[in-house]
Amino acid sequence: MDIVVCLKQVVDPELPVRDFAIDPATKRQVREGRPLVISTYDENALEVALQLKDRGGAQVTALTVGPAAALGDAVRLALAMGADQAVVVDHPQAPDLLGVEKARLLAAAIRRIGAYDLILCGCESADWVERVVPPLLAEMLGASCVTFAARVQPADGGLLVRRVADDGFHEVDVRMPAVVSIASDEANRPRLPKVKDIVAAKRKPVQSWPAGDLALPSGGADGSGVEVREVVVPQRTATCEFLDGDPVEQAASLARRLRDLKLV
Amino acid sequence: MAVVLSDEHRMLQATVREFAARELLPIAADLDHTARFPAQAVARAAALGLMAMTVPEEYGGAGLDPLAYVIAQEELARASAGFQTIVTVNNSLVCEPILRWGTEEQKRRYLPALASGRWLGCYCLTEPAAGSDAMSLRTTARLVGDEWVLSGTKLFVTNGVEADVCIVYARSEDIPGARGISAFIVEKTSPGLRVGKVEKKLGIRCSSTAELVFEECRVPAASLLGARGEGGKIALATLDGGRIGIAAQALGIARACLEESAVHAQQRQQFGAPLAAFQAVQWALADMATRIEAARQLTYRAAVLRGAGRPHTREAAMAKLAASETAMFAAHKAVQLFGGYGYIQDYPVERYFRDAKITEIYEGTSEIQRLVIARHLLGRR
Repeated sequence: MDIVVCLKQVVDPELPVRDFAIDPATKRQVREGRPLVISTYDENALEVALQLKDRGGAQVTALTVGPAAALGDAVRLALAMGADQAVVVDHPQAPDLLGVEKARLLAAAIRRIGAYDLILCGCESADWVERVVPPLLAEMLGASCVTFAARVQPADGGLLVRRVADDGFHEVDVRMPAVVSIASDEANRPRLPKVKDIVAAKRKPVQSWPAGDLALPSGGADGSGVEVREVVVPQRTATCEFLDGDPVEQAASLARRLRDLKLV
Repeated sequence: MAVVLSDEHRMLQATVREFAARELLPIAADLDHTARFPAQAVARAAALGLMAMTVPEEYGGAGLDPLAYVIAQEELARASAGFQTIVTVNNSLVCEPILRWGTEEQKRRYLPALASGRWLGCYCLTEPAAGSDAMSLRTTARLVGDEWVLSGTKLFVTNGVEADVCIVYARSEDIPGARGISAFIVEKTSPGLRVGKVEKKLGIRCSSTAELVFEECRVPAASLLGARGEGGKIALATLDGGRIGIAAQALGIARACLEESAVHAQQRQQFGAPLAAFQAVQWALADMATRIEAARQLTYRAAVLRGAGRPHTREAAMAKLAASETAMFAAHKAVQLFGGYGYIQDYPVERYFRDAKITEIYEGTSEIQRLVIARHLLGRR
């Protein structure tokens, strides 16, 4: 099975709040000087790919959109964890690209990679949380699509995918090629690389393709079709409300207030 | 010569830090209270490649350099100094001498098992009457037919209870001092070897410290490690590497003290302000951070020299001396900064305080490190 895992490099979500900043001119998160990591659910997607590889021998390609010159440890970590090769689409504005533009680049890169049975993505990115790239990719590649999957296993020439649902989970049979977006699950907690594989990762192949060289899928509007008007950091405030009355009345008031606030 | 970490070293650091956060931090306090051996965490450390880090891959190790080794040891000790003790002994006091002085057959028999976690190693040098004066040891080794017969008692053996493989130093020649000593690889199941008293300790409590008693213990002639009479040299050279590992342990403890203190100083309010607003507290934190960074550079430098195959006895002694005294300094400051909370077990700094002390004692006391450094300075070796 040939698996492509799409990895986005984001500013470390564990960063202290004081280090988070929005550039008012570009309306984008400031990345300079901040540690970059693989977006949370993308690491779960990589783990799913590596488990499929462990079970039955898959070829795993890690795919990310640059800028190549500013790539941090994402590609190296993916290779150390067990991906066989990596492809970097070098695009200077990569972090600023939104859904459709990003999906076009990924689709073009995946076509150029050639062999693909399964494309795995995180269910959402840790920065923009758009959740649109996997379905867009499937549409552009003419592949099946399952979103918010926790577990993926081979079954009868296709895949058996367990999908997270509000009331439990759905199990679906999927034909390949397929795009599956991965949610976190106890079964796909990202592994740590073995320490010897950290050094060995240096010897694995990494290809860098300029975005301009890719044949983008045609059709639809140019750009992402989305204009970012404003990005604000929410201001958290705390107020204290005292409830009057005896304990019975207070309890009733409290229950009413919690219901009004849709907390219960 | 400042040592700057490569991308690989940084990623290794992040990986071991994450391992420590997942596997050690949640159990560190319990390991200390119960003094139980963390078998599952050791197995997971072995799976990650932490039990034989500098052993080449052909013998099952990770094939990394000594700098990678100390970076990893600092991260493990940051979470649990006791756990790191188990790991560092296996790496530097057991795998390293087998790798350097072992025959091909010995390397093939022991290193893959020690790397995989199937076996654990210990190092038997100290005796009741031979502590800092280690070369006066009295355990004897007699060659009888095709077997060595070992007799004597070894003290303060880290991993002594759980270990499967022991590096044992014994007097095989009728010569006093270092030149009469030989080294042996002794399997724990050898007839005549038993675990004696198991010590109750102040700190690093999840690693066992035991007496090993050799009563006419018979081992094959092929158990000799290195040449006859070479044991004293092997013991001291092995300790050069061991001391770098203990320096890294001390750094981890010191960093734990600093990081916990910095958090506490920002959260704890007294006199209407966080502790961190007071200059006395700021200076304590600054002093801790400065000493830690200085000790870290000494430790890294000793590791880089060792990796380059250059002499590093003096540098290893300096690293251990500086780092262990920094750990004690930082622990002292941390407990004081926490006040009453630093003296109770609800917070981790009292554990750091107890763990820190051993770094000034084992694998050569601070006094012995000063002696080693002075001998190099004065040319009196």
